[in-house]
Amino acid sequence: MFNRERMQKARISLVDPQAEYQATVTTVETESVKAPAVQATVIPQPAPEVEIGALKMKPLLERITRDQVITALLACLSIGALFLFWYLGTKYRLEFYIRFKNVPTPYEVFRQAVEVGASNKFLVNVVYSVRRILLGFAIAIAVGVPLGLVIGKYRRVSDLFMPAVEILRPIPAIAWVPMSIMLWPNNESAIVFITFIGAFFPILLNTVHGVHSMDGVLIRAGRCLGAGEVRLFWNVILPGSLPHIFTGLAVGMGVAWVSLIAAEMISGQFGVGYFTWEAYSLVNYPAIVLGMITIGVLGLVCSGIIRLCGILMMPWLAYAPGSKK
Amino acid sequence: MNTQQISAVDKGLIDVRDMGVVFGANDNEVVAVQDVSLNVQPGEFVSLIGPSGCGKSTILSIVAGFMAPTTGEARLDDKPITKPGSDRGVVFQQYSLFPWLTVRKNVEFGLKMAGVDAGKRDVTARSLLDLAGLLSFADHYPDQLSGGMKQRIGIIRALATSPQVLLMDEPFGALDTQTRVVMQEILTNIWQQFRISVLFITHDIEESIFLSDRIYVMTARPGRIKAEIKVPLPRPRTAEMTTTPEFMALVQKLKGLIREESLAAMEPELKSRGLAGFGMNVGPKGVGEIF
Repeated sequence: MFNRERMQKARISLVDPQAEYQATVTTVETESVKAPAVQATVIPQPAPEVEIGALKMKPLLERITRDQVITALLACLSIGALFLFWYLGTKYRLEFYIRFKNVPTPYEVFRQAVEVGASNKFLVNVVYSVRRILLGFAIAIAVGVPLGLVIGKYRRVSDLFMPAVEILRPIPAIAWVPMSIMLWPNNESAIVFITFIGAFFPILLNTVHGVHSMDGVLIRAGRCLGAGEVRLFWNVILPGSLPHIFTGLAVGMGVAWVSLIAAEMISGQFGVGYFTWEAYSLVNYPAIVLGMITIGVLGLVCSGIIRLCGILMMPWLAYAPGSKK
Repeated sequence: MNTQQISAVDKGLIDVRDMGVVFGANDNEVVAVQDVSLNVQPGEFVSLIGPSGCGKSTILSIVAGFMAPTTGEARLDDKPITKPGSDRGVVFQQYSLFPWLTVRKNVEFGLKMAGVDAGKRDVTARSLLDLAGLLSFADHYPDQLSGGMKQRIGIIRALATSPQVLLMDEPFGALDTQTRVVMQEILTNIWQQFRISVLFITHDIEESIFLSDRIYVMTARPGRIKAEIKVPLPRPRTAEMTTTPEFMALVQKLKGLIREESLAAMEPELKSRGLAGFGMNVGPKGVGEIF
């Protein structure tokens, strides 16, 4: 669609020599029958190649910006539609099985945001949640990635760990809340633990999968280039499974937020989850929605950071086969 | 580089003795390689050629140290080979460049593992890239390159650690014919400069003659050495040589040897399926004539 200009230009440059060729054919045809067939294969080739080469550079910039504009417009449309639905629902107090009767309007939520923004309390809640996420997630990476690499590489380690992992994995992080409160000396460590549990399994399993799906020839190549066991892990197996590890991080971050909010709602003091639940107990409906939106935005920012890290740490993926679809 | 060229003359002797390889166990035993003895003299280019499935890649895997033979042994400079090491450079059939490293870092990899400092690594990598004509691609990623380029980098990466021998497992098998021919010339030039021992696996007859000093022809499974052929063509080899009568005579000779083995390898299926219907006479030695 956005290539139309370029295509037209290309077509013109392709058509022109063709026209010339057509002309030569008609003139030659009267003299002999064999000649045009020979000329036909020779003439059209050189001219368009030069033209296309020159064309390639220019529209690249146009195309990228246009492409980005469309992406941005669609993003606005997507979020705008959510707001519109919310706005219309609350404005006309819609009731069709779901009830908008008690749902606060966007404006009420905005006012609430301005109100809590004035005090430190809300910010403190956000800081608490972010700190818990970062801590739990960091521990999940520190434990999950090395363990995943070793499990993926050595069958016996896998035999040892995977049965326990497979039993613990289906237990949702929320189900860990009571146990966690019993286990850990204080609330804070209990919540961090639950966040860790949420992030740990996706990271671990994706790392294992990353090692398994690595091309064996790369490991052999590393070996014959003199890499010992430890260096092989650091220089071949880790970077080779990095794309899968990042998939694990993205999924793990999502689950970590789900687990954190649940833990904060049940056992917490401070935190966005606690803020949201407290608002419900105090019948402060706009604050509920504000809490929800805050969670959504924080989750978005976190996965955005992970994606950015992925692009920065794996620049080669831009050229990997299948990346330009 | 000078010291390396001198020392390469007396180092790099590959000696394979009475090697046998059996895959599987009990009822499912498959004898892949039987009583294979071969050697590569220091600085010699030797090809191992045979029909597919004859175990030639298995032999290379053992010399590389990826697996152990069932019987017999492989030695390098009179030391038994037990595990992979940087004294043997390996070039694989599939492109085995690390996709997460730039071309230059790929070439430097072996040196980095050997603990060579960054400055020296850079100098070596650049001179090798220059040799392969790929210096301008030093900061590209492998996925940005063509198959021929990748394999040239595979070769210089294997050479970077100054190994005594180079083991090549059908390195040009995945390339198109045109690229292949060019790559053979490049390889023979590179070998001319480094003068290290090469064990080269292929099923391409012309390729093996063009590159080698000596060729081992293998039988169909179980793989044994069927013939050892010296290639008396002068060095340096050029593309024009492939049309000389001497070259053609060698091609014919090898074709005859290989054909017998390919037919022997196909014999069971030819017999059971009765390919006579495809215009082929199936005799005791496989397909006899084609109309």
